[in-house]
Amino acid sequence: MTTGTIFWAGQPVPFRVGETVASALMRAGIAAFGTAPTGQARAVFCGIGLCQGCLIRAEGRITEACLLPARDGLRLSPEIGGDDA
Amino acid sequence: MRDTVLVVGAGLAGLSAATELARAGLPVLVVDQAQAVGGAIHRQPLPGVRSIASGAQKRRWAGVMAGVAAQGGRITLALGTRFGGVDHTGAVLLTGAMNRLIRPRALALALGARESVQPRPGWTLPGVETAGSLQTRLKTLAEAPAGRVLLAGSGPLLLALGAELVKLGRPPLAILEAGRPFARPLAALRLPRSYWAEAATYLTRLRLARVPILTGTHLTAIRAEGGALVAEATGGRRLTADHIALHDGIRSNDIGLPDCATLPVVRLGDCREALGARAALADGRAGGAALAARLLGRPEPAPDAELARQRAAQALLAQLYAHDGAARLADLPGDTVICRCEARTVNDLRALGPSPRARQLRLDGRFAMGPCQGRFCGDWVARLAAADNPGPDTPTPGIGAPRWPARPIAVADLLAATDETEGETR
Repeated sequence: MTTGTIFWAGQPVPFRVGETVASALMRAGIAAFGTAPTGQARAVFCGIGLCQGCLIRAEGRITEACLLPARDGLRLSPEIGGDDA
Repeated sequence: MRDTVLVVGAGLAGLSAATELARAGLPVLVVDQAQAVGGAIHRQPLPGVRSIASGAQKRRWAGVMAGVAAQGGRITLALGTRFGGVDHTGAVLLTGAMNRLIRPRALALALGARESVQPRPGWTLPGVETAGSLQTRLKTLAEAPAGRVLLAGSGPLLLALGAELVKLGRPPLAILEAGRPFARPLAALRLPRSYWAEAATYLTRLRLARVPILTGTHLTAIRAEGGALVAEATGGRRLTADHIALHDGIRSNDIGLPDCATLPVVRLGDCREALGARAALADGRAGGAALAARLLGRPEPAPDAELARQRAAQALLAQLYAHDGAARLADLPGDTVICRCEARTVNDLRALGPSPRARQLRLDGRFAMGPCQGRFCGDWVARLAAADNPGPDTPTPGIGAPRWPARPIAVADLLAATDETEGETR
């Protein structure tokens, strides 16, 4: 099983090839993906891109963590207050 | 692309429809947002991971894939590609791996089901997700999450998920089932034999692992406490878990999907009518063959009898699982979030006064106005708003006015899309 590393708010998180960012983060024990503009926590809910609850920032773009494929070196941060540059 | 039929969704319905369309001689493009085929039910494991699917599930999926393979080059598959919507000219926007604007000959929407989850205090906490969401990870990873898992809500999916957790060596703490599906065994006898076989497998596995299945039990509230999730249930029960998976049935995943005057559009499988896997396979085949006949000017094939059988079976299942859970909406604490997108609460809804209309709910209440377009709150808001004036079976239409695009799309994707519609007539 091949693996690689993504970075969540600067912290390295391992992933398996074919895995989504959300899956890798949750396996690493990260369930809260920062805060939404409403003040609620960002987290996976539907897991299939419908609820828009797991939005994160990836390379300058806000996207669903549950659909985004992990790839080696990908830098991710919370939607608000993060810096993925 | 003008000859190509676009199928959205590479699950049971989408791929069986694609096979029928290709068999009739039509070129087919199948897109799916996931990185692998299978949809929700037959979600495939990651490369190198062993499948946790049952023998029957594996055989069904192998049959679908053999059908696709037999059509060779007539079916093109684009994974990691999302359907953004179709405009009034029949131009379809795809984003992701295949970022294009195309003009297909017809559009078959096979986007499966969405889960229905009843709002409860704490249902927005991290660690609380839908049963389908957790199940997707079990299927792709063949691994259960670390820590205690609690399953709650209503429906056969809870038993399937519980049995999969047992198989992976991590039985759930308990299954809280709001209905009493085992209370009427004689009525249940009328279910098709394949349903019995499936249920028996799940129940045997759950019983051997001594997983408590508490029927007639509602999970009423969740709170975060000491790094864990504390679930309150009826009967004074309190359970502490690390993960909670909720599920209150399935609905068609058809919100915000287009009709287009200039392009034949059909919905297939759960996306058309949420009847589960067996029906999705039959509906995909029949719908694909019917669409091919329509496009080629041939006589339409006879409808598939399997669909009626599955409709009857699902109606019986719904009866067996029937419960009064929705009545609990009226007793929710005022600060309970109903609209997850914009954190709109029961109090926000009540502030609109008695019997608010759909337009008022949206424009004044901002319900169903977030990026999910009311997929998760619409039914509940409609029920709550109708609560002053309840009938024996108050209808619960969605209150949203969903529109293109089906989901938020980055402007960058719009700009980067390769336009393959140029030079084609509008």
